[in-house]
Amino acid sequence: MTSAPSLQPVPERPAPDLVRIRDLIYSAAGIFHPDNKLRLLQDRCDRRMRELKMQTLREYLERLTIGPVRQTELIALLNDIVIGETCFFRNQQQLDALCHVVIPNILQIKSQLPQRRLRIWSAGCSTGEEPYTLRMLLLDEAHGLLKDWSVEILATDLNERSLSHAKEAVYGNYSTRNLTPEYRSKYFLPHGDQFRVNPAARSNISFSRLNLSDDARMTFMKSMDAIFCCNVLIYFDLVSKRRVIEHFFNNLLPHGHLFLGRSESLYGVSEDFRLVHLPGATAYVKAERSPAGSKTI
Amino acid sequence: MTTAPVGKQVLLQRLDGLRQIPTIPAVLAPLLRYLDQPVEQLDVQKVTDLLAQDKSLAAQCLQMANSPLFGRWQKVESLRGAVVSLGFHHVSDIAMSCGVLKMLPGHKTSLDPAIFWEHSLGCALVCRHLARKINLADPGKAYLAGLLHDLGIIVNLWVLPQEFRTAYEMARAEEIPLHEAEQDSLGFTHCDSGRLLAESWGLAPDLVEVVSYHHSPEKLSQTTDLVALVHVADLLCRMSGLNYGYAEARQVNLFEDAGFDLLAKSSMSARDFDWARLTFELDSYLDEVHSLVRAIYRT
Repeated sequence: MTSAPSLQPVPERPAPDLVRIRDLIYSAAGIFHPDNKLRLLQDRCDRRMRELKMQTLREYLERLTIGPVRQTELIALLNDIVIGETCFFRNQQQLDALCHVVIPNILQIKSQLPQRRLRIWSAGCSTGEEPYTLRMLLLDEAHGLLKDWSVEILATDLNERSLSHAKEAVYGNYSTRNLTPEYRSKYFLPHGDQFRVNPAARSNISFSRLNLSDDARMTFMKSMDAIFCCNVLIYFDLVSKRRVIEHFFNNLLPHGHLFLGRSESLYGVSEDFRLVHLPGATAYVKAERSPAGSKTI
Repeated sequence: MTTAPVGKQVLLQRLDGLRQIPTIPAVLAPLLRYLDQPVEQLDVQKVTDLLAQDKSLAAQCLQMANSPLFGRWQKVESLRGAVVSLGFHHVSDIAMSCGVLKMLPGHKTSLDPAIFWEHSLGCALVCRHLARKINLADPGKAYLAGLLHDLGIIVNLWVLPQEFRTAYEMARAEEIPLHEAEQDSLGFTHCDSGRLLAESWGLAPDLVEVVSYHHSPEKLSQTTDLVALVHVADLLCRMSGLNYGYAEARQVNLFEDAGFDLLAKSSMSARDFDWARLTFELDSYLDEVHSLVRAIYRT
């Protein structure tokens, strides 16, 4: 009988209740935890269970599904899941795909137009790390790919306090943990024991307060080439989510791209957008609509 | 382009004059023939004995049997245990996967054999997953088709190492699909060289079609589900980290892809299938495949 010299340790089979919680989060909020990220989900559930003094995942699953406060608990869990995700250069593969594939395609499509303008919207920008990251990446291309192009970044959030933080542009070690030394020295200035985004990277970003459910104001967000809306739609119920997505459809130019958070999906939410695969990342583009006009929501 | 493509004629001549044409490892043919019988007639000891004839193949099979990719969560320490707990079908998948590994050159001239094997294994797993989810093909057959779809790359690595290296370096530098670079630089693709090998081995006609047409399923007068399935699985793997060691700088919209269209015609559920979720699940496959390949290459 042959035996192998060194067998890998066999990972534990995921607990069935954890898999049920994974599926619940996916169907309610659109965030999927693949098997290799289930430990992360387990940690977040453990944190909630400690707070609620619960012993088993089964009890916690019941609170998420049949308790009177299930909706509140789901939001508390989602907060724990996405907390700490806010940082500069959060999703490098998504950003690489934007710079290497999406923007070159957009520039080619728009090259015949008289106005050489690129508009990107960070919808739900929180404390500003995302729009500043985008600005830094686009500044890197200012004398290359984007020479002679004007770039405008719109950043909106519902929360006034987050927006003031964003405008202040001062960040600690946690937010800046993914920064390479080059980016740190190129686009940041020391600010006490923290860092402040330098004036160049603060330029051409307009911050404003916006509720994505405000139908009247949403119609003013016009001619977008790309929208980033990461980990924001997870808090909306299906009807509101569909309404926001319908707005995004109208806000985007025909070639526009919608970027969501890592492992965030629009499955079952909208037929207006098609999933596209980029190297190591996904995005959504506008699907061809039937000539009969827009779909009702 | 500074050099003229070598063309299919040169490929044929080299294949003809070369004794090193990759063959299915000796032990696999009798094993697979044996496993082809009805399950009721199979004997665990006989399968174990056949596998044990090739010590390194046996060790690799055991490594694979312990991977969650094959649905096992308990440690399996003997070949017999692996055969019993995995079932005959998975043993055949695993043995064939190790067979492909054994056909690869031991050294890296251009495309790293370990990366190539990761892609083949990843594609096989996605094919099996898709076959189950959208009820298109027998999952075992789909696994085999995914595993063998790039046989032509093995041929190119053995028969035209320098010329293939030029094509590979071009694909990498320009971030374009490998078969496009092969067409430009060699004058043929791994689909053409794969077909020669698949036919010389006498593979089943549907597998020969997969090897020959997975980049152009629309060129087949009657596309089989299997070719369209492998086409889509291969595309998803290449856009994820289960690629050939470089990322293709492009955007893929499945709904505008001719091969996907053929898949959707065969399976009602393909258009409604949750492709986003599958893409996220690929992330898990990626980790598992990496750790499996690392473990096997260490032994």
